[in-house]
Amino acid sequence: MRWTKLLAIVAAVLVVATTGWAQPAKVKVGFIYVGPIGDYGWTNAHDVARKKLERAFPGQVETMYVESVPEGNAEPFIDKLVRGGANVVFTTSFGFMDGTLAAAKRHPAVIFAHASGFKRNDNMATYMADFYQIYYLNGLMAGALTKTNRIAYVGAFPIPEVKRHMGAFALGVRAVNPRATVHVRWLFSWFDPAKAKEATEALLAERADVFAFTEDSPTVIQVSAQKNRASFSHYSPMQRFAPRHVISGQLVHWDRIYVDFIGKVLKGTYSNQNLENVDYWWLLAEKAVELGGQFGQPINPVFAGQLKAARVRTREFGTISVYDLVNRRLAQMTRKPVAFDPFTGPIRDRKGVLRVPAGHTMTIGELNSMEWAAPGIVGQWPKEPK
Amino acid sequence: MRQLGPLRFEHDPESSLTRTMFVSALAIAAAFLVAGLIFWAYGVNPLRAYRVILVDTLADPRALPEIFVPAIPLLLAGIGLLLAFRAQFYNIGAEGQLLAGTIAATWIAVFTSTPGPLMLPMMFITGFLAGALWGLLPSLLKLRLNVNEVITTLMMNYIALYAVSWLVTGPWKGPSVRGFAYTDTFPDSAWLPYLPGTRIHWPTLLLGIALAILVAFLLNRTRFGFEIRVQGHSPEAARYAGINPLRTTLLVMLISGGFAGLAGVGEVAGIHHKLLDPSQVSLGYGYVAIIAAWLARGNPLAVIVTAVFFGLIYSSGDVMQVSLQMPARVTDVFNGLILFFLIGSERLLHYRVRWMPAATNQTVPATLPEEQAASGRERWKS
Amino acid sequence: MEVITWLLESSLAGILVRGLAYGTPLLWGSLGEIYAERAGVVNLGVEGMMILGAFSGFATAHVTGNPVAGLCAAGLIGALAALLHAFFSITLRANQYVSGLALSMFGLGLSGLLGRGWEGIPLERPLPEVTILAPLGFALAVVLWVVLYHTRWGIILRTTGEAPAAADALGINVILVRYVAVVFGGLLAGIAGGFLSVAYRPSWTEGMTSGIGWIVVALAIFASWDPLKAIWTSLLFGVLFHLSFRLQTWIPAEPLQMMPFAFTIIVLTATARRSGRVRQAAPEALGLPYVRGER
Repeated sequence: MRWTKLLAIVAAVLVVATTGWAQPAKVKVGFIYVGPIGDYGWTNAHDVARKKLERAFPGQVETMYVESVPEGNAEPFIDKLVRGGANVVFTTSFGFMDGTLAAAKRHPAVIFAHASGFKRNDNMATYMADFYQIYYLNGLMAGALTKTNRIAYVGAFPIPEVKRHMGAFALGVRAVNPRATVHVRWLFSWFDPAKAKEATEALLAERADVFAFTEDSPTVIQVSAQKNRASFSHYSPMQRFAPRHVISGQLVHWDRIYVDFIGKVLKGTYSNQNLENVDYWWLLAEKAVELGGQFGQPINPVFAGQLKAARVRTREFGTISVYDLVNRRLAQMTRKPVAFDPFTGPIRDRKGVLRVPAGHTMTIGELNSMEWAAPGIVGQWPKEPK
Repeated sequence: MRQLGPLRFEHDPESSLTRTMFVSALAIAAAFLVAGLIFWAYGVNPLRAYRVILVDTLADPRALPEIFVPAIPLLLAGIGLLLAFRAQFYNIGAEGQLLAGTIAATWIAVFTSTPGPLMLPMMFITGFLAGALWGLLPSLLKLRLNVNEVITTLMMNYIALYAVSWLVTGPWKGPSVRGFAYTDTFPDSAWLPYLPGTRIHWPTLLLGIALAILVAFLLNRTRFGFEIRVQGHSPEAARYAGINPLRTTLLVMLISGGFAGLAGVGEVAGIHHKLLDPSQVSLGYGYVAIIAAWLARGNPLAVIVTAVFFGLIYSSGDVMQVSLQMPARVTDVFNGLILFFLIGSERLLHYRVRWMPAATNQTVPATLPEEQAASGRERWKS
Repeated sequence: MEVITWLLESSLAGILVRGLAYGTPLLWGSLGEIYAERAGVVNLGVEGMMILGAFSGFATAHVTGNPVAGLCAAGLIGALAALLHAFFSITLRANQYVSGLALSMFGLGLSGLLGRGWEGIPLERPLPEVTILAPLGFALAVVLWVVLYHTRWGIILRTTGEAPAAADALGINVILVRYVAVVFGGLLAGIAGGFLSVAYRPSWTEGMTSGIGWIVVALAIFASWDPLKAIWTSLLFGVLFHLSFRLQTWIPAEPLQMMPFAFTIIVLTATARRSGRVRQAAPEALGLPYVRGER
């Protein structure tokens, strides 16, 4: 009698010890950031989402963060967060991928999620909120608004993510203005306002008159606005830095992913055993991203008149204004099932090689390893396929 | 001799070990005190900050090994710097020499088909050579044309930095890294083993300790060490004693740069396993190694202690980021303050303090010839 | 082909204006460093003084809404930071190079700590980039050149840097002259930093000087410690920095950004061979602490 009772207790303890993790009443979530939280871009957006996550689960979720973590040092910082009691850890930069995987293997009880990478584990998921659809919409507007037919793009790194965004942007430009070109400068840095400034000046000197960029500061907007040139906001609501010059832009809602993920952890749907195939690839339809230079306003009214005046002939909608085209495309991509994708064939690259056959839409895998340059792109393009 | 209230300061050019340790400890304590004031101004209770530094780094068995991760490059680069400083060669270029070492090691690991067992030895050898080479130019310029080595080694740091940056964004960018500015990951044979459960790449650590002992032996027991010491005391005397300053300085600088190069090899083979942005490869180790070497006051074995001490500073900076949510720059505040107080307290090393209330009314000249001789020895110029 | 169209398209004036924008902090900083070194004190703390100036300048300009007040604050804080270096290297006779290094580390650390809440805020009323501080910098360079070579003050300053013992014998207060020169250098370095955060960027981020302070140290040497030469050397490096983006399609940026540092070594090497020409070479007592009565 006593033995069976003891056995039962031991069994219960074992069950709790191995699976007890499945349903914690409370989770402590750690965030590893690559930049300073005041960077006005990527890290700032994650930090805004972190605060929203705390508010979404009052009393149930506690968060910690570390900012400006060097890429080679993700592991010890993850260790410190885990020792500080974190049972879910989000690492928010591609460079943390290997460190996160190593830490996931060493802390099998902790749940990990890594942004923008491709390596997963039983206790490590991946997630990404991607902008390529929005870049296409921005491209439509840029193509309609340029007068010099030269559009500028200041890029951070020539990685598939940025190349995909530039590609979608250029496809949008060419859809309304086949004569326009997109001129590229690379910074080889996610955050470097001094470099962004000189790159913008260099593109201004090449007579570009609409600016898009991937860099975590409003520098490109501020510099181009001083010369009275229009631009697109990137990542944060940057329209307020130049209210009369920002046309639109990309906004992110990382909190959608964080709240969904943590909600499923709290419910026990996600555990440290079943994340091998959990990959969030959230777009407009999931409301993880938004079109606009400030929340709730897809197109700056300052530019509405010009966009309504610009007319374009499309196969699907006949001849309509670019303003309407943007809204139609936005609606198509926001409602499920998604009725439009910018990367639907036939698409040839700038050298004329057929990259997406007719009738095919690029898969997530293809998007994540995209190296070719879309037609209309001018400038250095490292690792361009032959 | 100088009288200050009941205290008498007596000049003593040879500083004893206890006094050196006492003055150094005092300097560090003062630095921590001022750092506490800055934390208070920032809005963090200094006592809480000190507690976090001590408890979360030293008293935590999982955190403790992390101290040794930065200590390894600091040790290797620090011994080399100390040797150079002993010969009155002010090498500020350990950062660049370290980066040169990472370039050479990466080249061996990624672009040659060196067989497995030879891989790591080859990386260390070429890394040493690359670091030595990077230190060679400034030493030649110094010896041949009397060009100030502080400036040239400093400039060489930036040249190395942009060289690494160019390599990883350009010709060496790996095909498998999806466009990021890295080389490909090293093959397994180019990975240094860890002490289980830590990130301490122990072969590099052992190498550092062995080299510290070797350099101590070299300095104190060999003709070469004697030459270095004589030259460090007085270049004129060295010339008089028939010492060839060219040979000594050149050798010292080759060793100094080479050791920093070894530190670089340890970083890429032990921590990163690829070459990446220079600011990520070395977290300012080449500069902090200068402080570690300075704090060791000319004793190579002491670098083992000072390197671990600055490992603790790095590690406590990390802890303060996590526990107190302070920015990463907090480490620089510590390092800058410690360096200030160390050099500021330098002259105290040459004084003996005595309790002599009886002599209060005695007037003594402010400076004595011995003191001038002593401070003259610390002089150095281009 | 592309290069030719590019050359036709881009106006030389446009490049010069960009060179002026990036060259302005280089000019102000190197003028300050030239004066400090002329008095015999190397200050490797320029990066630290500049970043402290950049932060205090931004914070002041943001709070008061007046960018000129920001520049004043930047200069003041730069001067205070230089005072630290002066105290350690002149009064305590600590190694100048190491003291400067300490100042750079400390400045970067302190500004990163105190400036945290200020990151990412834009400045409502920034200072124009090239219309104010660039011409002022030119004027200052000319004035400093005249003072250095054609006034009594200049003789005092140069004597202090060349032969402090002789200066002392002439009744010059070597310690005071050195203090004044170093603090003046800090004032200019602080203003250079303030220019970055109040006019060039205009915003604050930790570490935003990103090595400009070290280029300044190099420039002081590159200009052979001559305020007039500092004008064209800083302009040259400003143009080089901008060109590293202009020419990106054809030349990678790094070799161009490496140039200030490589040039400094080359210039040091070249002038070393011509030593004996006093105007070319470094101040004789550069880097040496001065002890009264020592011969």
